[in-house]
Amino acid sequence: MNIRREGDIEYRFEHPDDFRRFVQEQKSRKAEPKLCPAKEAVSTFVADGDYIVYDFSSLTRGPQSLIREVIRQRRKDLWIGAEFTLHESALLTGAGCATRIDVGFLGYGGYIGQAVCEGRVRVYEWTNGGLALRLLAGARGVPFLPTRDLLGSDHMSASAAKVIGDPYTGLPVAVVPALHPDVAFLHVHQADVYGDARIFGTNLFALEAAMASHRVIISAEEIVDPEEFRKDPMRTTIPYFLVDAVVHAPFGAYPGAMPARYELDLPHVDILNGIRNEEQMQTYLHENVYSVADHEEFLDKRVGARKMSELRRKASIVEGYR
Amino acid sequence: MARTVEFTDTEFMIAQGARLLEDGKTFFVGWGIPQIVAILGQRLYVPDVIQLFEFGAVGPQSVLPFVRGTMGGPQNTYRSIQWLNMNWAFAYSASGYMDYGMLGALQVDPYGNINSTFLGGTYRNPGRRFAGSGGGNQVASHCWKTIIVIRHEGRRFVPKVDFLTSPGYLTGPGAREKAGLPAGTGPYRVVTSKALFGFDGETKLLTLLAVLRGLDPEDVVKDMGFRPPMSKDIEEIPPPTPEELRLLREEIDPSRFLIRGEWMSASA
Repeated sequence: MNIRREGDIEYRFEHPDDFRRFVQEQKSRKAEPKLCPAKEAVSTFVADGDYIVYDFSSLTRGPQSLIREVIRQRRKDLWIGAEFTLHESALLTGAGCATRIDVGFLGYGGYIGQAVCEGRVRVYEWTNGGLALRLLAGARGVPFLPTRDLLGSDHMSASAAKVIGDPYTGLPVAVVPALHPDVAFLHVHQADVYGDARIFGTNLFALEAAMASHRVIISAEEIVDPEEFRKDPMRTTIPYFLVDAVVHAPFGAYPGAMPARYELDLPHVDILNGIRNEEQMQTYLHENVYSVADHEEFLDKRVGARKMSELRRKASIVEGYR
Repeated sequence: MARTVEFTDTEFMIAQGARLLEDGKTFFVGWGIPQIVAILGQRLYVPDVIQLFEFGAVGPQSVLPFVRGTMGGPQNTYRSIQWLNMNWAFAYSASGYMDYGMLGALQVDPYGNINSTFLGGTYRNPGRRFAGSGGGNQVASHCWKTIIVIRHEGRRFVPKVDFLTSPGYLTGPGAREKAGLPAGTGPYRVVTSKALFGFDGETKLLTLLAVLRGLDPEDVVKDMGFRPPMSKDIEEIPPPTPEELRLLREEIDPSRFLIRGEWMSASA
């Protein structure tokens, strides 16, 4: 893992040439079936100490079933690139999986704020725009990209962003280093067995994250015929050769919403929001993660068919999601 | 005899914010109360306003009631004219297409610098930690005019913010440009649950412009951590109208989760 330190600030960095070499040597271009259980995808592609990034949030189209599997496998010392980190960071920190978080937006509830104050997890402050730009730099194969924000703010000392003189005008401009996560988790509406994937609706940086990361795990509500992508290429979010594993995960965003598929489970989200102390956290993790073997058992025993059909029924807005 | 209206301080803050919106303009809308301000404004006063959310919803017309806590869900991104992502959303603001930004804040200083990251202690060892920038830093850096929405509590107005999350006028006139931020941008109004502030054209200092009808301007500023300059003619802001209150209470937030607050009254 490549970590650079500048004073108090540590940041993940890899030169574009090292990443390009990895892509040349380690990323297969062959269309091979990559469908596998979440257990196998996580045990194969997520190691202790890895840097993880994911698209959207625990409330909307987040890869919640994959995050629960990481917790179940008790990964250690993870570093999370968290654009929106609502409940993900609280759960991963509470489970002892995450020790560093690049934010983003550090929402929700008292638990994660308390963990930061107690020093149980280190937080670096890149802002949403800064993190999205770091992934874009990674995807574009450049070591950094300039931006006209962050300037004049305290983020300049809470991240490794720097101010340089614009080589064309001499005026100050901020730069952020490229980010190459070890693994990207993307929960999508549809995927084929090779990894071609479709997201309907907005996203944070799904394609940037997939291109900039070493490994990409897709979890999909629905597995569709590969021919579907050839028939309608405008709708492809991620092409298969970026992808390392495909997990079929209906209700994979639960308790969050999957636009046009199922609505948010607000009472469950309120339980998450209400977690304040260690006992509540461990009770939640036991009940919802450790005591079930996998996502299927979680849906079957903890969520239930009745709740799922109710949440499906509530997702009445379908316009635009296709 | 004038009728007396009863409302919460939050309802007043949202209503007076909604009246500030300018029709036919673009608004980069931050998470939380600014979303409600934009929705109320769009329903009542500025139907042709274009909202932008940082995850790439361009021009949405939200479905009511508002789903608390969420931003990216289908209700809130309904009837957009375009769906994109984060890098493209910030491209709209960075290239000058966003007329206004609207953000909440934990603390504001005399130059309109915003803290939304932590209170007390240091960055490494904060007293209390909050959500932080999200995209707020980009909004306050790029948009032509930034509107800050903040509950009127003295402790929120401080001589120096504990962490400068999103830039106001930094240390004074010319400081934004000197830092490299886009020229001609900066905070424009601070909407509170009692008053409205602007920024002096020359000194760039937070200045009291108006107070809720019936309040004494001296009372409004006395608990603030610094004494702001007062505009020559302090105007009075009418309390929420029946239609503003009806929309807020019956259509936007029927569970009254977001609009609750301290009860106030004023003559209509």
